[in-house]
Formats: sequence, C-alpha cells, structure tokens
Amino acid sequence: MHTVLTRGNATVAYTLSVLACLTFSCFLSTVFLDYRTDANIKTVRVLVKNVPDYGASREKHDLGFVTFDLQTNLTGVFNWNVKQLFLYLTAEYQTPANQLNQVVLWDKIILRGENAVLDFKNMNTKYYFWDDGNGLKDNRNVSLYLSWNIIPNAGLLPSVQATGKHLFKFPTDYATSSI
Amino acid sequence: MLDIQTHMDFAGQGKAERWSRFIITFFGIVGLIYGAFVQQFSQTVYILGAGFVLSSLITIPPWPLYRRNALKWQKPIDTDAKSSSSESGDEGKKKKKQ
Repeated sequence: MHTVLTRGNATVAYTLSVLACLTFSCFLSTVFLDYRTDANIKTVRVLVKNVPDYGASREKHDLGFVTFDLQTNLTGVFNWNVKQLFLYLTAEYQTPANQLNQVVLWDKIILRGENAVLDFKNMNTKYYFWDDGNGLKDNRNVSLYLSWNIIPNAGLLPSVQATGKHLFKFPTDYATSSI
Repeated sequence: MLDIQTHMDFAGQGKAERWSRFIITFFGIVGLIYGAFVQQFSQTVYILGAGFVLSSLITIPPWPLYRRNALKWQKPIDTDAKSSSSESGDEGKKKKKQ
C-alpha cells in the first residue's frame, strides 16, 4: 500500500472479489426457487399427411399439421437473476418404432421487461412436425407441453416444464386436400 | 522547486487500506439489498461501481491526511568529528549519513 499503483491494484482486486461475492449471493437467492407455472394449451386443427420427406430419406413420411391456442402468464418467473426465457412447445408421443418421440414445434424468446402474459389463438407451428416413419396417423395419444429455459445472470441454466399438458389424437385418415 | 509530498506514512497506509475495504464492502452490501429490493442486479453492480470510484478517490491519492504520523528519526550523528569513540555501536541505528 505504499504507492499509488499498489493501492490501485488492491482496490480493483478487492472490488472484483466483492463483485464475485454479490453475484454468488444473487445466484444463491434464486437457485432454490420453483419456476413451474401453469400453461393452458389446446389444439385447434389437427391434420396428418403422408408426403415425401426430401430433407431425409425421400420416402413418404407422416407430417402433422397442428394449430394451437396457448395461454400462460410467465410474469412470476422473472426475477433479478432471469435475463430471458426461451419457450418451446414440444409434442411427445410413442410409436411402434420408438418408445419416445419428441418434436419441438414452436419456440419464442421473451426478454425481461417484455410482455410475459401470453394469449395466442390459432397459432401455426414454426417447425415441421415430421415423424420418422408413419407413426402419426391414428396416433391416439400425443401430448403437447410447454417448457422454457431460463437464461440467468449467474448460475444454472434450468429447463422448466409447465404443468399444463394437452393430449390430442391424430385423425385416422391422411388429409388429401391442400391446406 | 515545488516540494510536493507523495508518500504515505505507515499509519496512513493502514488507514487507507481499512477505509478502502470498508467503503467497498459497505457499498456492496447496500447495493445487494437495494438490488434485491428492486429485483435488478444491474443496480447492485452500479452501486458497487460507485463505491469503487469513491474508494479510489479517497484512498488512492496520497492525501495529506495520510501523512500525520511522521516517523521519528534519530538525529544524524556526526561521525567525522569523533570517529574513534562509538562508531561500531551506533552503526546499526543510523538511517542517514550526511
């Protein structure tokens, strides 16, 4: 502490140590919170088509078309350790070929400060609902659920699943008309 | 020439270190409480930054405040006059030689 430089060095180093402690306190204050919330999901229109999948094998695979309603209030999820949420809507089902199929149909980023009360009507999916075979037609038990990743200032990157799940079934016949 | 003192004495160095620790810790705690209250971690960081600036201004420059406990040096001993009498015994305590 005998020159300007050593005092400056000590001050900067101590400030950074305190900053690390504060950041850790922020992490500790939020790490045990329960971020689950209810989401209300409904499907409006459900079709399935049998079309060639040029992105993969060029064989005819099942392609689902789903429009959905989504209502949820995520304002309670935000706190001082949440910078943004990455929402994604997953369809989960079982086929004879695969025990577990998960397809992400839609996603959205909500920054802190933006409107987190979602009320979407008759939304189209953002991504194709491809099955890797013919497992969608007449599938009686497809569940649709909302999850989100929490992007924090410091700490873990949790993936949280909303409590509301929606079950729907695909029609027994392929749709032939263009949609 | 200008006689500008730039040193801190030992007591002043200790005081500067204690004050900088206290100021930064205090601003950190206040920032943490305020940031938790308004739920904005950026406010915590800004308040800590204010504490850093204040602490830098107060404790980094060698203000005259930190020069109040000058060391009491021994009087310089004129060794040339009586070179033979007690030179060996005083050698260790001499800080300055004329």
